[in-house]
Amino acid sequence: MRLQLQNFTKCFDGTPVIEGLDLTVEDGEMLALLGPSGCGKSTTLFSICGIYRADGGRIMFGDRDVSDLPSQKRNVGVVFQNYALYPHLTVEENIAFPLTVQKPRPSKSEIAREVRAIAELIHIENLLERRPAQLSGGQQQRVALARALVRKPDVLLLDEPLANLDAKLRLEMRSEIRRIQLETGITAILVTHDQVEAMSMCDRVAIMDKGEILQIASPTEMYRNPVNKFVAGFLGNPPITFLEGHTATEGRFAMDQGLFLPLPSRLRDLPAGQRISLGLRPEHFGSTGTAQASGRIVFVEPQGREMLFDVEAAPGVVLRSVQPVRDDVGVGDEVTWGVDVDRMLAFDMDGQTL
Amino acid sequence: MTKNFAIFPLIILLTIVSLPIAVMYGFLILDTFTDAPPGELWPDRFTLAHWRFLWDPSVVGNVWKAAGNSLILAVSIIVIVVPISSLAGYAVSRLNLPFRRFFLAGIMVMHAFPAVTLLIGVFFVLKFTGLYNTMIGVILVKGSLMLPFGIWIMKGFYDAVPWEIEMAGVQDGASRLTVFRRLILPQVKPGLVALSVFAFLDGWGEYLLPRILAPGSDMEVLSVFLNELVQADQLGYDFNLFKSVGVFYTLPVIILFVLFQNRLMNIFGGGTKG
Amino acid sequence: MSSSADLNTGVARKSRRSDRRRPRISGLGLALLAPALFLLTLFFFAPVVLTGIFAFTDLSTSTGIGRGQYVVTPNLLRQLGDQGLTEDDATAIASVSITIDEAGIARATEGGVDPDFLSEIADRFAGESFDDPRAFSRELRGLPNAPRRPRELTQTAEYFETSVLNTRFDNPEALTAQLADVAPDVSSDTIAWIVDRSYTGARFTTANFERLATQKETLRLIGNTALYVAATLGLFNVGLGLFLAIVLFYTPKPVTSFYSTLWLLPRITPLVLYAIMWKWFTWEDGFLPIVAEQFGLPSFNYMKGSVVTAWMTMISLNGFIGASFGLILFSGALRAIPMQQLWASEVDGANRWQQVRRIILPQMRWPILFVTSYQTLSLLSSYEQIWLTTNGGPGRTTTVWALEAFTTALSNYTGNLQYGLGAAMALVLVVVGLVLSIIYLRLFKFGELVSRPKIEL
Ligand SMILES: Nc1ncnc2c1ncn2[C@@H]1O[C@H](COP(=O)(O)OP(=O)(O)OP(=O)(O)O)[C@@H](O)[C@H]1O
Ligand SMILES: [Mg+2]
Repeated sequence: MRLQLQNFTKCFDGTPVIEGLDLTVEDGEMLALLGPSGCGKSTTLFSICGIYRADGGRIMFGDRDVSDLPSQKRNVGVVFQNYALYPHLTVEENIAFPLTVQKPRPSKSEIAREVRAIAELIHIENLLERRPAQLSGGQQQRVALARALVRKPDVLLLDEPLANLDAKLRLEMRSEIRRIQLETGITAILVTHDQVEAMSMCDRVAIMDKGEILQIASPTEMYRNPVNKFVAGFLGNPPITFLEGHTATEGRFAMDQGLFLPLPSRLRDLPAGQRISLGLRPEHFGSTGTAQASGRIVFVEPQGREMLFDVEAAPGVVLRSVQPVRDDVGVGDEVTWGVDVDRMLAFDMDGQTL
Repeated sequence: MTKNFAIFPLIILLTIVSLPIAVMYGFLILDTFTDAPPGELWPDRFTLAHWRFLWDPSVVGNVWKAAGNSLILAVSIIVIVVPISSLAGYAVSRLNLPFRRFFLAGIMVMHAFPAVTLLIGVFFVLKFTGLYNTMIGVILVKGSLMLPFGIWIMKGFYDAVPWEIEMAGVQDGASRLTVFRRLILPQVKPGLVALSVFAFLDGWGEYLLPRILAPGSDMEVLSVFLNELVQADQLGYDFNLFKSVGVFYTLPVIILFVLFQNRLMNIFGGGTKG
Repeated sequence: MSSSADLNTGVARKSRRSDRRRPRISGLGLALLAPALFLLTLFFFAPVVLTGIFAFTDLSTSTGIGRGQYVVTPNLLRQLGDQGLTEDDATAIASVSITIDEAGIARATEGGVDPDFLSEIADRFAGESFDDPRAFSRELRGLPNAPRRPRELTQTAEYFETSVLNTRFDNPEALTAQLADVAPDVSSDTIAWIVDRSYTGARFTTANFERLATQKETLRLIGNTALYVAATLGLFNVGLGLFLAIVLFYTPKPVTSFYSTLWLLPRITPLVLYAIMWKWFTWEDGFLPIVAEQFGLPSFNYMKGSVVTAWMTMISLNGFIGASFGLILFSGALRAIPMQQLWASEVDGANRWQQVRRIILPQMRWPILFVTSYQTLSLLSSYEQIWLTTNGGPGRTTTVWALEAFTTALSNYTGNLQYGLGAAMALVLVVVGLVLSIIYLRLFKFGELVSRPKIEL
């Protein structure tokens, strides 16, 4: 089911936290709401599922305006960050609960069948007798997912579902959740502040900051063409390096520290003397490139498959580079590496991409 | 920890300070099954005579009936306080009420407010409603005066239940009432138990209300019974007998306390007495 | 899927919706609250209001609690005579008149008078009045069905006598009308005065407060209450509580749990038994007198025998209950102090005494304030313990305000319970209690209870 927020506004104690937000999630799509802590992700999520009341705008499920409907009538499945399993019920009872409160109440055998089916989908058939306290974090996560899905909701909302898991489990659950979402074909929103999670699990990513959605795009599109400096800086690990300066003659960029780089070819027409900043991703600084930059390696961080270098080109200018593992250079060495100029990003003083 | 603090003298001081209590409770038990020569403290013989009242109504009257009445009073108070507090506590803890702040402040003020000062007003209310001199009146009054405390305690227990459980329940399609009944209430069982025990102890120990509000009731409770005993016997004070009846009276309290000590401790911290 | 429109930034349109929606009010909440509200209204608010109302009345056992009536008694006339009612007026009001009317016939029928005789009376004299009973009797004797015996005759005559004296009227108008009827010469001002004074029920008056404000006893009560509260609080609830908490913090675990339980006993012991134990402890042939005797000290009833020992008894018997409150709270606060702080101070070479003074006591400020304010409230109003033990004695030396209010209104030996005065005294406590509990709310944790419900729909 297609989900739409139109001009959605939410206030706490009179101060707007989210104002005039528009968002569309297509049927069967999984969308990530990505943003720093406190930007309003959970608030948006809770408003969609009906825990918070929207102070303005509309929330549409398909053609249905649900803005004023209570949670019970919205048919949304939610997985909470701490799973919120009912501690006094067994796993089976937990999963069956949404069915037992349905009107008319399905028969016992029907409930049992549904529970079994969802348990098989989520691979927790062998846990049904246990209580939540006897489960590991990942298992609790699965139970929560099963409970959210058992009554076949129109929309599935996941609030930081992986935050409480250890690294290995997180990896596993990432693909599990995606698999289940694809198998059920449900429209889903994933709230997270982990960009890897967002990019690896979702069809599209919506980046939020301070209650506003800055950009909605597929992960690759967003990574390549961020709309502004915030998005560019938020995505990417290790993060992008920003270089401050202004345009100079002959299609060059003059850094404040006195270094020069060629401007990307699409920006050669800019008049000289305009203040801009350039963004250089670490993978675009290395062995190949259309321009050269030299400096001294001040820091090396081996990351297994790759290595991360910090190169000080001038006092105060540190360029970051990610390259396949190499032993020929080390801290203190002077190097001259290529810069893939055309793939550099450029931003005006308002932070908008040029 | 290091030994730069002389513990020993302090323990001695502690013992001296605690001596009156130790003596009172020590002799309370001792005197119920011993006799001492007149004018002396230390007993010189063992006897069960002080306990004769248990099976011989000619000693002080029928204690079992009084105990039964006390039991009825205490249980009735539980029946009033626990359900009403758990409903209202949930409402003020979790639901959107008009004037919610006002309610909460009111309940807190009532909780802190010493209810005994209302006794005169309560007396009039009972007179006007025709409940004066009835046990039902006493039960209603005692239960009502405990309500702010009960609501407050239960609110505390509800507050400790994670909101997510409630949110999850609502998301699962359950009405708030169903959520309350099937998901939240089971989480506050310890609170219900603690409040029940507390209400029982309070009702069992209550003296003032039955004495003042139902002096003519034919349901004499143990506290009144015991005090009548002391007062009737103006001349020959048989403290050993009083203590035996008193220990009989207090036994349920001690047992409940031992069983539920840990749960009660929290409640006593916000207690109503002394 | 990602159209170019989606690529656009979702910059907020800064149009604020004017219809800001409020959280929906929960009908369920009101329903769940209803039983509590009902009982609280009946037994909390109503008593407060009634205390407030009756404080301004002279309600007592003699006035009765229901609505009063209007009745002129000979006694009242005598009193009014002292206050200027003329002899003539008094006689006129006290006079007896005879009227043959429906009411009289009805009374007579009820009294079992021969119906034939009665119907004759009704036929002959209906509507007539007689001033002299003897004249009326004579007339009656003349009737054919008149009874033989004179006694029966006078009795019958009496059914038709009416006098205002000792007749009860439900409203002042009826009495006024009747008075004007029997004593037409008495001025209407005088009648109004008499009617007003004839009311037997309680009246509104500020006399209770005037009395409280002027009588010397008030000062003593206030002094006693202040001494009682201050001493109990300072010595026991806070002082002893703090001492116990700190010492038990350092003692080994078995010692700690033994003494904690011991000190909790007074709190859980039913009050009646606790009072008996103190009586045993302090009365003649009880513990203290016997021990004192063996040391050659004066041996008497310490609870009631002298003012000083009565005070000491009263304060400690309440204090022993109160100390455990402080003990529980202070122990909790002590456990909340991070152990690192204590270890650090020991590493710095502080001895335990310095540790207590420099680290522990400063952190006890809030708990102490809490215990003080909370217990002030309950000590101010508690009288049950005192009532069951010293009962204010010897004499009235240990009577505190709350006890006095209680005994005045609900429990004294003379049998005339002065509800109005008692309510006035209780009202003072109610007001003080309300003010203190509101202050105490301001001081503590009101903030934490205003957090709003998180589910808004
Ligand atoms: N109940 C509330 N009352 C007042 N302000 C609130 C409330 N809940 C959230 N806020 C504020 O709204 C903003 C958005 O909060 P929200 O919980 O949506 O952030 P978030 O993006 O989910 O952050 P996180 O990643 O830390 O969970 C924050 O500034 C927060 O302080
Ligand atoms: Mg959040």
